[in-house]
Amino acid sequence: MCAINGILAYHYAANPIDRAELVRTREHMAARGPDGTGEWIAEDGRVGFGHRRLSIIDLSEAGAQPMASADGRLVVTFNGEIYNYRALRRALEARGRVFRSRSDTEVLLHLYAEKGEAMVHDLRGMFAFAIWDAQHRTLFLARDPYGIKPLYYADDGWTFRFASQVKALLAGGAVSRDPEPAGQVGFYLWGSVPEPFTTWAAIRALPAGATLMVDRIGASEPRRYHSIAQVYCEAETVARSRHAPAGADSSAEIRAALLDSVRHHLVADVPVGAFLSAGIDSGALVGLMRDAGQHEIQTVTLAFEEFRGRADDEAPLAEEIARLYGTRHTTRIVTEAEFKADLPRILDAMDQPSIDGINTWFVSKAAHELGLKVAVSGLGGDELFGGYPSFRDIPRWVRLLAVPSRVPLLGKAARRLGQRLGTAADLSPKVAGMVEYGGTYAGAYLLRRGLFMPWELGQVLDRDVVVTGLRRLGPLPRIAGELEPHPRSAHAKVATLESALYMRNQLLRDTDWASMAHSLEVRVPLVDAVLLRRLAGVVGALPQSASLEAKASLARSPSFALPARITTRAKTGFTTPIADWLQDRRPTGTLAVPRHAIPTTAHWSRRWAGQLAAA
Amino acid sequence: MRILALVTDAFGAGGGIARYNQQLMSALSQSGCVSDVLVLPRHATGALLTPANVRQLQPSPGRASWSARSTWLAMRQRFDVVFCGHLNALPVAAWIAGLQRAPLWVQVHGIEAWEPRGTIYRHGLATAALVTSVSRYTRRKLLAWADIAPARVRVLPNTFASTHAPRQAEPDLVARLGLAGRRVILTVGRLSADERYKGHDRIIGALPEVLRHVPDAVYLIVGSGDDQPRLADLARQTGMSDYVIFAGQVPDAELPAVLALADVFAMPSTGEGFGIVFLEAAAAGLPVIGGNRDGSLDALADGAIGRPVDPNSPQEITTALIDALSGRTTGQPAAVRRFAFPLFADHVDRLVRTLAR
Repeated sequence: MCAINGILAYHYAANPIDRAELVRTREHMAARGPDGTGEWIAEDGRVGFGHRRLSIIDLSEAGAQPMASADGRLVVTFNGEIYNYRALRRALEARGRVFRSRSDTEVLLHLYAEKGEAMVHDLRGMFAFAIWDAQHRTLFLARDPYGIKPLYYADDGWTFRFASQVKALLAGGAVSRDPEPAGQVGFYLWGSVPEPFTTWAAIRALPAGATLMVDRIGASEPRRYHSIAQVYCEAETVARSRHAPAGADSSAEIRAALLDSVRHHLVADVPVGAFLSAGIDSGALVGLMRDAGQHEIQTVTLAFEEFRGRADDEAPLAEEIARLYGTRHTTRIVTEAEFKADLPRILDAMDQPSIDGINTWFVSKAAHELGLKVAVSGLGGDELFGGYPSFRDIPRWVRLLAVPSRVPLLGKAARRLGQRLGTAADLSPKVAGMVEYGGTYAGAYLLRRGLFMPWELGQVLDRDVVVTGLRRLGPLPRIAGELEPHPRSAHAKVATLESALYMRNQLLRDTDWASMAHSLEVRVPLVDAVLLRRLAGVVGALPQSASLEAKASLARSPSFALPARITTRAKTGFTTPIADWLQDRRPTGTLAVPRHAIPTTAHWSRRWAGQLAAA
Repeated sequence: MRILALVTDAFGAGGGIARYNQQLMSALSQSGCVSDVLVLPRHATGALLTPANVRQLQPSPGRASWSARSTWLAMRQRFDVVFCGHLNALPVAAWIAGLQRAPLWVQVHGIEAWEPRGTIYRHGLATAALVTSVSRYTRRKLLAWADIAPARVRVLPNTFASTHAPRQAEPDLVARLGLAGRRVILTVGRLSADERYKGHDRIIGALPEVLRHVPDAVYLIVGSGDDQPRLADLARQTGMSDYVIFAGQVPDAELPAVLALADVFAMPSTGEGFGIVFLEAAAAGLPVIGGNRDGSLDALADGAIGRPVDPNSPQEITTALIDALSGRTTGQPAAVRRFAFPLFADHVDRLVRTLAR
């Protein structure tokens, strides 16, 4: 699924683009696309695209990229999959458009020729692409609604550059390495760098569900075309107008919507495997893959010696699910020695610092070893079906603390007191901030997902970085901004925040770098804008007590439902014994060495963050 | 579209910023979407030759009177765009743009925009619809402290007058300055004791080694200022007095004649917002040497026009000077055509159209 990059010398004073730079950036992403390389440079030398290919749909040379339209006016470089490309193609052909390949890439060219920027509304899939329009001399960039596929850009005022990875842009050699305080602060606040920031001032992420146009004066501000909160709001409006609560037919609708998504996510000209854990999400997806007509399924589960015989060990239950659905199953054991041996490569592949992603690294490595190019993952199930404790905790905190948090100065006073008592009583630093932050969804979310609290940042970063970074990042307004236009239900609010922040900035990004490092495409049928539209009304309208029911509907949706042993198992997440493995590792790099060493008694994730920032 | 331009100086004044403003106003006057431009300068002394639909008011040198007049104008007339020609004027310009509910366009040049400024400037910039910066470097430095969306900060480089073109040296001038039979290194710029960033001392430091390879070399310094005694001392201490000529200040109109005297133009500066003089020297056909750590890189077009050197590396400066005086040049002075006025004016037109409501 590929890597894309490009350079556009849009300003009249800029030099023509440097082919060597284009190639350097592209080749830094070689692992993302081992099956082919391509480049295209316009005759006038002002614009060029690069592409590394992982062939999945239309394996022939006709699907090679960058791809130009028949008349030469449009050129595209594309990373991702358009799952509804066949339907789009049929509609385009019915309108008289002639195709030269069987690829989904060509659909993009025809669709842009017809609809321009509005084309993004027709696309179902995960994508990041750029289209050069030689007639209008514009460059159009777009990214999928959830931000499954990455896209970064740098505009220095003369020349615009983009690539699938931050480090690839840097490898080109022409992008400034000034640090971005908002990116650094964001990393310590959340454990991942919140878009649109990166840790580099010159490089920004094109936000999920946004497009961007570059013309002769440079890049426009990104334009959002999709909002998760908006989808929930619309679903609530529809539900209110019907005056009908989510009822008995919700299970049928959930099953139909899920099966439809899984079916779309199986579009490929190579075998599609699956990551399998002991949880509901991945298990149900494997069941639905069978229902969708795929009988040969390679599944893979990660296991650790340290977990053998413990509740965290996913292997026995995963094997049971594999037997239930008749998959070809592999349990891959990862040892501490392997972790330590891989760590330098992990840090190298990690495009932006992140405290997660190790598990995806190893399960992707295992899938690659099994010869898979594509694997389905259950990522997104907790966000869609309310599987996280945050769906319970955040609304409760907000209810309890809404009034006290509005009392002037009470929150700050409680925090100061709490900080003193907390240190003495060895409490989580977050407890001190409950009154100050817990009364709003944005504040409560910061508490729930925060790695370091804003008042703790001085322990790990210089003061001016903290001040500038916090001012620019605006953590609370940024979180609150994702909630606009304000869905009413608590489920919709938390689902929006988890999907638009944690899943987008952490889970999806980690999945991208960790899988692509092994030339593996991970597909996420539970992260799908069409699925969300169908289920937002069904799941979002459920009363809180029924939220668990929603997850059970997921478990029941395959024709062979998941057994009770799976559905009643306490949630462990897809964990690794990384906490134990991290002992004795010392920082080795230079990015943003914490001012003070993070104490060895701190939570492992905080110590890991310190080491990553230094890597 | 009516534009109110609040500037330090424009028509009837000298210096880089005044020249930039003159060219910008001329470009605006050519834009199809601009009906007229009213310029309120703080300083102006010379004759006022303005383009057709540009009117420049009498200057108000005092900051307070200038601010009061700006406000008075804004209360009596309606403008579609407020242009702020210098960061120092931003608080007043932002207030007036707010009063007019008109988009604010801020111009940034060089060092005035490089160091962080206070809240009032940050807020002012945050309200700007458009910021134009003379170089990529100034843009980068500004974005490091201002919280404005990068997409609103565009680069609008200096341009140069068509009067600059290769020409023969005037024999009188050659004789008067004692340059006959010499190969001339030229720097044109202020000699300011406060700034000292232009790199005159770096070139004086390189002269002994340059002379070993090019015995007929001489260094011609054009420009005046309070740093001249220090530079003269430096030349004496290094035994280079006979090879350094201080020609003093030269009016803009005589600059082409001065450029015609030189064999290479060198200014290994660390403080250029852009360095319009690089363009003028290249347009005169001279090989050009500049620093690689500031806006000079834009004027040298990353090496396409002239040779960028590390201003802190005596070795690089020396080698570049020797190469240039020996006819071994990198970069094509003719590539300076990219900065010609028609292209500048076309870009100004595109930019101002983004402000149309």
